[in-house]
Amino acid sequence: MLKPGDDAPPFDLPCAFDDQISHVSLDGIRSEMVVLFFYPHDFSFICPTEVVGFHKLQPAFKQEHTSIVGVSIDDAETHRRWARELGGLSYPLLADSDGRLARAFGAFDEADNVAMRAAFILDNRRKIVYAVASSINVGRSVAETLRVVRALRTGRPCPADWQPGDQLGPADLKY
Amino acid sequence: MAVLKPEERRRVFERLANIREIVFGIQDGVLTTAGVLAGLSGAVSGRSQVILAALASTAAGALSMGAGAYLGTRAETEVLRSELRRARAEAQGQPYVLQESLLGALAREGLTREASYRVVQLLSSAPQALFSTAEEKIYGLGGATFGNPVAEGLLMGVAFVAGALVPLLPFIFFSSIRSGLIAGIAATAAVLFSVGYFVEGRLGDKPAWLSGLRFLCIALGAAVAGYLIGLAIAPLGTIPGS
Repeated sequence: MLKPGDDAPPFDLPCAFDDQISHVSLDGIRSEMVVLFFYPHDFSFICPTEVVGFHKLQPAFKQEHTSIVGVSIDDAETHRRWARELGGLSYPLLADSDGRLARAFGAFDEADNVAMRAAFILDNRRKIVYAVASSINVGRSVAETLRVVRALRTGRPCPADWQPGDQLGPADLKY
Repeated sequence: MAVLKPEERRRVFERLANIREIVFGIQDGVLTTAGVLAGLSGAVSGRSQVILAALASTAAGALSMGAGAYLGTRAETEVLRSELRRARAEAQGQPYVLQESLLGALAREGLTREASYRVVQLLSSAPQALFSTAEEKIYGLGGATFGNPVAEGLLMGVAFVAGALVPLLPFIFFSSIRSGLIAGIAATAAVLFSVGYFVEGRLGDKPAWLSGLRFLCIALGAAVAGYLIGLAIAPLGTIPGS
């Protein structure tokens, strides 16, 4: 799996967004930061919690000048129906049908032939600044991803469990 | 041929689920009693003694097999039900794990992922329907998995007696031990063949003659193997103190 400091692999993939099929490329995303998260499948009972979670917190990410992109191996039309099933999503779902992008990020589960539950935060140079992956049965914390985005955007060292408003710098009084 | 309604078909399946006890009981009753009769025919000169010993063996065998089937089925059912209760409690706490597994099981059976999702979503509106479907599709448990201990115990015992009567009746009707033994062994072979012929060949869909021969060979093979093992260990000596 790619790690902080690595360049994010470029992509230009079909996607579903706003009940339409279109294309999204990494070059075309203008926001300061990008949250790119992989998940195994559309039409699943585990994935929606985080797919919907990112949708609900999208305004907060937007406030941090951060775009969200979801990626799975499902095709764009399936993404469109899935997004509609979930009541609409405020960010695009990319169709990585052959798993090439997931493999480029090192986030492809060859045994199950699906993308892993992996999330990457890219900075304004599209370098990876945060990478996390979890078991296929465990959903990620969307709030934690937002916290990390906020911490990264301070541009300064943040102690463990830092929250907006907490003291910045290396001092850590919690532990 | 009349087509059965699904409800009638279900009752047929429930009855057929007890075939194991019937076949097991008959086969054991036939062979045990034939063995007792053959063994005693050489050792005891009185015909009535042979018959009495075989009757005692039949009663003991039927009770033992019936009790064994009852206890075995009861233990199996209790353990399965207890595990199922645990699985249901876990599923109530984390329904999405069960839903996802059921979705995967349906998709493996040919439904598209989207169709599987919708089926599971519909089932989820009635938890009992979700659980019972998941139990069958994920855990492989069906209604026939849970036996009736009393019925299976009774069936096993009755089947044992029915099997035991096969070699025993010729002994009762023939006046000489030798004729009774020959007729009993012939009847034993005929019944063993018939069980295979009708159960696997007729009720099942295997070639009937082949099924009959297979059943006869396996059952008699086991009896002959037991006899040969007895012959082989005989030279090892006698029991100390006897």
